[in-house]
Amino acid sequence: MKEIIDVTNLNFSWGNNHVLKDLNLNLKENELVSIIGINGAGKSTLLKCLNRILKPDSGEISIFGKELSNVDLIELSKHISYVPQSIRSNFSMDVFDVVLLGRRPHIQWKIADEDRDKVSKTLRFLNLEEFAFRRFDQLSGGERQRVIIAKAVAQDPTLYLFDEPTSDLDLKNQIEIMKRIKELISNSESPKSALIAIHDINIAARFSDRILLLHEGEIIANGTPQEVLTTKNIAEVFNVTSEIVNMHPDYIRIVIKDEINENKKTGKTVIL
Amino acid sequence: MDPISQRHIEKGQTQLLMVIILCVVTIFLAIFALGQGSSTNLDIGTTMRIILGLESATDLQSDIIWKLRFPRILMAIIGGIALATAGALMQGCLGNPLVSPLTLGVASGAALGAAFAIVLGISIINIPELAIVANAFLFSLIVVAIIIQLGNLRSVTAESYILVGIAITFIAGAIVSTMQYFATDAQLSQLAHWSFGSLSRPDEIQVLYISIAVLWLMPTAMKWSWDLNALSVGGDEFAISTGVNPVETRRNILILSALMTSIVIAFTGLIGFVGLAAPHMSRLIIGNDFRKLIPCSAIFGAFLMLFADTLGRTLFAPIIIPVGIMLSIIGGPFFMYLLLAKRGGN
Repeated sequence: MKEIIDVTNLNFSWGNNHVLKDLNLNLKENELVSIIGINGAGKSTLLKCLNRILKPDSGEISIFGKELSNVDLIELSKHISYVPQSIRSNFSMDVFDVVLLGRRPHIQWKIADEDRDKVSKTLRFLNLEEFAFRRFDQLSGGERQRVIIAKAVAQDPTLYLFDEPTSDLDLKNQIEIMKRIKELISNSESPKSALIAIHDINIAARFSDRILLLHEGEIIANGTPQEVLTTKNIAEVFNVTSEIVNMHPDYIRIVIKDEINENKKTGKTVIL
Repeated sequence: MDPISQRHIEKGQTQLLMVIILCVVTIFLAIFALGQGSSTNLDIGTTMRIILGLESATDLQSDIIWKLRFPRILMAIIGGIALATAGALMQGCLGNPLVSPLTLGVASGAALGAAFAIVLGISIINIPELAIVANAFLFSLIVVAIIIQLGNLRSVTAESYILVGIAITFIAGAIVSTMQYFATDAQLSQLAHWSFGSLSRPDEIQVLYISIAVLWLMPTAMKWSWDLNALSVGGDEFAISTGVNPVETRRNILILSALMTSIVIAFTGLIGFVGLAAPHMSRLIIGNDFRKLIPCSAIFGAFLMLFADTLGRTLFAPIIIPVGIMLSIIGGPFFMYLLLAKRGGN
């Protein structure tokens, strides 16, 4: 499989706070990779470095073998689409026009029929057709999140960078959206990959081909959900006890049990 | 074609039709305005016949129409186009609905330049008729230069521009006030008149140059429509993921809008309201898609300026009320009504 993105020794700091430390990762075609870790672990920062929203302190990022900083921004947006958790603005447009912005890297000025149809098809794909001519700012948080995802899908990139794509969604839509993302990635006709920063480890376990466990700016585990989501890893990173349940033949489930309170004086671990 | 795509096209056509109607109304208003004035033998009917070539005009009639009324009406149209476009661009690229062409301090710079010429008699040009205009333009260009410098800083945000603009407004205002404090009554009156904003100042040649400059800048403004859509609806990170460099785009757009504003207000004096209101009024009928919003705002701006000026010329004729005052008196309540009616409707 071809390599889409390759990151070597990536470092990023916010002032004195060293967020990403000599981080290495790569992503291949048709791979859905989740990044999990606690708040402030550097998940969003990593995604933003990969889309040139943030400039790393050092390290190399290459996309399709080209150095990221040498790629023209329009060209880059044809290949990578970053999907923020939410967008906030004083101005608004129809949902159709927001999704149409995904076609912007591909068009000069005039909207071709194919671009319009691509948007219509994407709206249907994500069950958003009834919202097509509603104003974006009048939608609920979850609906808005789906529209931003639709914009990325209409962009037709090779690599999706999702920052918490399910954070505002209800239970049904969380599963629905992840299934759609999985469908996009598994389509072998047009090879695509996704890197997803996510908090819900059960969603990560169910849909990911690979999981990266990010802790204190470093990837401390990298592998299949079964390899990464062990009770030991979960305890170390999230400070909770858990149980791995094999209730489905295809994926594992993690049941979080209790918070671990480490007694610093005695060094003993106490489960509350 | 997909029915959703079809509906999008139809919606676009309806909006285009509304812009065309607005355009036609503005043209009729312009013709009506050409027929308005104190000259008794040039009523609207005669003026129409002369313009259409159905009646031959005397030298005096021809001069009144083409040398007195036409430059003023063209100035209203071009001034409206420039200020409303600048307003739409600035609101979009700064993501802030409160912004108008005067926010960045360009107008305060112009006022400071005018004050230098009026009160201190210092001007970069020794021709008396052009002294104030030249100064106003130069000082507003200094503000544009500050904006360029600011745009070159690494982490400049939309708020930085607005805050620096406010700071410039305060500084320039303080210097103007100091000059006013020491000015004679005649100078004070001249300065006050300058700040009213009037369309009668530029002569026909100047109006022609202003028109060429503004119309030449318009396609560049239109070119950034897609970038403005991404920036105004989604903010910087969203814009980057769409291939737009927000820092560079914002800087370029602000330079263009500041230039458009300077070109007009150096000749007319302060006209503020149209740049704030025309884009908002256009948004109510056409939405926030800049591919349509820029032309619609431009036409709406022209319409508002023409309407306010025509009213100002005819309401208390032969006394002419400056367009800047008329715009705020008539446009202000109308603007408030539109915004509140919209909120109520929702």
